Amino acid sequence: MDPFATLGISPSFDVDLAAVEKTHRELSRALHPDRYLGASASERRSALLKAVEVNEAWGVVRDPIRRAESLLALRGVAMGEGHEPKSAPEFLMEMLEQREALSEARQARDAAAVHRMAAQAEARSREVERALSEGFARGEAASPADLAGLAGKVGELRFYRRLLDEVSAIEDELAA
Amino acid sequence: MALFEIFDPKAPPHPIGIDLGTTNSLVAYVKNERPVAVADCDLETLVPSVVAYLPNGDVVVGRRAVRLAAEHPRDTIVSAKRFMGRGSDDPETRRLGPYEFAEPAAGEANTVRFKVAGSRVVTPVEVSAEILRALKAQAEDALRNVGGAVVTVPAYFDDAQRQATKDAARLAGLEVLRLLNEPTAAALAYGLEKRTNGTFAVYDLGGGTFDVTILLLDDGVFQVRSTGGDSQLGGDDMDRALARELLAALGFDEQRQTPQLIRLVLDEARRAKHALTTLDEVEAEVPGQKRVKITRARFEELIRPLLERTGLACRRALKDAGHKPADIDGVILVGGATRVPAVRRYVAELFGKEPLADIDPDQVVALGAAVQADLLAGQGRTDDVLLLDVIPLSLGIEVGGGVVDKVLPRNSTTPCVARATYTTQEDKQTGFEIHVVQGEREMVADNRSLARFTLKGIPPMPAGMARLEVALHVDADGLLSVHAKELTTAIEQTVTVKPSYGLDDATVEKMLLDALDHGEEDLAVRRLAEGRVDASRIVAAARKGLQADGDLLEAGERARIEAACDALDEASRGDEPSRIRARIDALDDATKAFAARRMNRAIARAIEGKSLDRVEKSVEHAKGVEEAHAR
Repeated sequence: MDPFATLGISPSFDVDLAAVEKTHRELSRALHPDRYLGASASERRSALLKAVEVNEAWGVVRDPIRRAESLLALRGVAMGEGHEPKSAPEFLMEMLEQREALSEARQARDAAAVHRMAAQAEARSREVERALSEGFARGEAASPADLAGLAGKVGELRFYRRLLDEVSAIEDELAA
Repeated sequence: MALFEIFDPKAPPHPIGIDLGTTNSLVAYVKNERPVAVADCDLETLVPSVVAYLPNGDVVVGRRAVRLAAEHPRDTIVSAKRFMGRGSDDPETRRLGPYEFAEPAAGEANTVRFKVAGSRVVTPVEVSAEILRALKAQAEDALRNVGGAVVTVPAYFDDAQRQATKDAARLAGLEVLRLLNEPTAAALAYGLEKRTNGTFAVYDLGGGTFDVTILLLDDGVFQVRSTGGDSQLGGDDMDRALARELLAALGFDEQRQTPQLIRLVLDEARRAKHALTTLDEVEAEVPGQKRVKITRARFEELIRPLLERTGLACRRALKDAGHKPADIDGVILVGGATRVPAVRRYVAELFGKEPLADIDPDQVVALGAAVQADLLAGQGRTDDVLLLDVIPLSLGIEVGGGVVDKVLPRNSTTPCVARATYTTQEDKQTGFEIHVVQGEREMVADNRSLARFTLKGIPPMPAGMARLEVALHVDADGLLSVHAKELTTAIEQTVTVKPSYGLDDATVEKMLLDALDHGEEDLAVRRLAEGRVDASRIVAAARKGLQADGDLLEAGERARIEAACDALDEASRGDEPSRIRARIDALDDATKAFAARRMNRAIARAIEGKSLDRVEKSVEHAKGVEEAHAR
């Protein structure tokens, strides 16, 4: 499935999310199961499949990680289990340290330190997104090595996402 | 037929909306294009969500049950909703309360069980079904024939809690048109009233649950951007905080707390909470005990931690939606607990604006549900209004080392699907265990377990060769179903999911049969009535299609469809449900290809419509999109 085609845009990392959201909304207006409650069984089924596809496409396009994965997949880079890109050793070290610092802050119930780490991880995420945007903007000229580099960046972004999710959970825990 | 039987199968079925609340429940319907709550013979609309099981086998619901609570604290279930979809070892069962719980016997589903009236054991699903049955009877009293129902659930309910709610509705003999999230229902009631566009926050603090939803209202589409909350936080917890204070002031340590005392103290705490809405100071008086003075300031101090928990959820929901408090055009208050002045002040501070509360916060959810029921039954302004909701919690699958692979992130718009592929770890492995969890944490143990099942019959292959695709589907009710297949051999697996908490399908079926109070004859009448309703809907939809998109018809197609419509009409006038069903299927066949063409046109138009300022480009896009969708 090409989620970009489903939503009527050309594949790119830089997307006008407000415009795509509007398209998603209009497509939902046409396809949502609520619209077909009175319809025949086959019509209900096919509308449901379409609605699911449109929602899936919107879920991919609005999320930088899934959007980047989808762009790479469209360019023939295999993603998913067994195809995780190798991360740079320095990056892995950094993440290990971050993890350790986070679990120490949790032990010490140091909410300020947890917030600080969240801000840092968010800032780093944005940097990586910028790098992805520049990388994908090179378009067809990208070499397989370039693409592998981009896949590595996606891996980093995923690390930060997991770290931020864990931070949220710890914030909840400290507030409870 | 007995005189008290109100249901009249010949009356036209009327769709209803039900708010199944922790503290109170109510039912509403649309009358002359406006939603109204159904009142009972005492002109009361709120039915306390209280069910008393008496030693003589009688079951009493509502205000009469409330009066029995003091005398029968263990047999009177208050706030059953807090136990929906929960396991027998859930922390909720250990919180302050008067109940006696029964452990599930070997082989029984892991769900909370209340021990009532001596030896009787009931689940929260059955308790809720009693409340729903009472509401249905109340609606039948006003409408004579009740059609489908929209039943609301907290947005933050997980799959097990939603499933439990749907099971309760089925047990009560209701046809569930949709499970609707409470904040979305409230927004619908407000949005239609105010007819404005913008971004809204719904702050819903009920008796036992807290939800916050950020949604965008754009020309009749209510699009939920994010939702968050706590399915075990509400006015009840304020009562408990106050009750603990009272128990301490009266000098009762834990050993001396009897179920009667706890019930009395909890009731007095609730009265004090209500009184403190207008007074600065009250004297709580537990029968037979000395009076205890409580100031509003002290009460506010006690509930501050609860408010802060709601604040955290609000900030997270805003962040998920990509908004700052200043972006919010209006804040809607829902739930009885938002009457507490400290809650209103807290919300105003949090969002930097005065919240809206001009629709009764106790009624607004049911009113919204009634509007949605009306729309879904095809009687309202279907073309203008649409609700787009999301899943509140991420869905994931357990992978090696007790880690969760998140496959469907929270706030994904429903209906949705996520697929993930896995492989076997050992040579000739023929079974593969799949564990589905819901939650945001990395480790399985920190999330809520939804279901486990084993995918069997994988052909023996070397490790890593099999490709197992697991698909998680979430429908518009927010309910999960799981499908799995082995890709190299395309062996599709029918998966029987054993829920981790709550009842399995077989148990619900059995309860349903046991609870069936209509004879076979009544069932046949019902089936015929339902068939006729479906038939008239489908014929109307088909004829509307012919009129709207006649240019898409191929030679001879119109005649075939019209003939199938006429045949169905004719069957509808008869009284054989099976004949109606067969002709519905025949019409379905006749319209299949035409319907597909109409859908592609609708898709193309949807894409086109959003960018009239770039007409040429959009037409080109629409074509590309039509091709993408036609594949």
